[in-house]
Amino acid sequence: MALINLAAREINYKIVYYGCGLCGKTTNIQYIHRRVNPGARGRLVSIATEEERTLYFDFLPLSLGTVKGLRTRFHLYTVPGQSFYNASRKLVLQGVDGVVFVADSQISRLDENVDSYLNLWDNLRSQSEDPGNLGIVLQMNKRDLSSIFSVADLTELLNHTGSPVIEACALTGVGVFETLKTVCKQVIAKSSRS
Amino acid sequence: MARRRGLVINDEQMQMIDAVLSKLQRVAGSTFVALISTSGQPITTAPPDVDADTLSLAALAAGSFAATRQLAEVLKEREFTLLFHEGRESNLHVVQVTEQILLLITFGHDTQVGRVRLYTSRAVEVLKPIFEDAEEDHGGEQVIDRDYSREAGTAIDDWFPRTE
Repeated sequence: MALINLAAREINYKIVYYGCGLCGKTTNIQYIHRRVNPGARGRLVSIATEEERTLYFDFLPLSLGTVKGLRTRFHLYTVPGQSFYNASRKLVLQGVDGVVFVADSQISRLDENVDSYLNLWDNLRSQSEDPGNLGIVLQMNKRDLSSIFSVADLTELLNHTGSPVIEACALTGVGVFETLKTVCKQVIAKSSRS
Repeated sequence: MARRRGLVINDEQMQMIDAVLSKLQRVAGSTFVALISTSGQPITTAPPDVDADTLSLAALAAGSFAATRQLAEVLKEREFTLLFHEGRESNLHVVQVTEQILLLITFGHDTQVGRVRLYTSRAVEVLKPIFEDAEEDHGGEQVIDRDYSREAGTAIDDWFPRTE
């Protein structure tokens, strides 16, 4: 569950954007960083390669403000999507409260999506994470492109937990905040029950 | 599957933690000390009003420490128990307190590393049982109750911009 500092009246939740390479994880975070009230966000930290591919993670802290006397923060992370960075993905998943699985809706990216999805569950299991305690959202990104899977097909493939599904186009911001809202509400609901 | 361990720090624990950090900062000649979680979240600092981006610091230091542990595994070393960054004007020393907690100490070149390591080691001995108790998760469920959940949900709806 979340890190709760009763003395400082503070709660921190960790949310990780997961998915295959170039599916739009960093684009989600960058859009949120651009559009959210500057007073409610911290610095966007990116550990990326020279080609601007995520090497370790992107990090963006968001402050929801004070709820029932508790300052509530969400720490957003992305993982590197390329398959050979699995060690880094495992590290970023440590202590996670919620996961946004960003699926690339293009038919040509099926194998990469499935590999990443299976890899997510392998990594959660290896950390003894009970997925029942996590908030999970499936974001179907790149819905503006042609040659994409139907929502029903992608749901069948990548949503065995029956998690909420959001259609998105992260480049233009469609569905980005809806995804964030949904996962934030989920992690709070899960932590109040765990 | 194992239930996830949480971390709930109460007032009494935080007073003890802050006292230890404050003393460590003073006797070790440190610029500032900070406690963070291994998942990258800041907990507290001494002095409390540190002139640094503690959110970014926590995320990066936790990532760096986690990567160092993996390096040890790759090199078939049992563990690298500490992490040391030497800068032009200041140094950063990171040690593990418990499975979930890291201690960060920054200090200048006029402070001897041995002194920092000695006092840090003593501080870890005091901090460890406090955090082991906090990791037992006493009282978290009383804080994040249904009222909190409902109010947070409303705040989330009001706070984020409309989706385009």
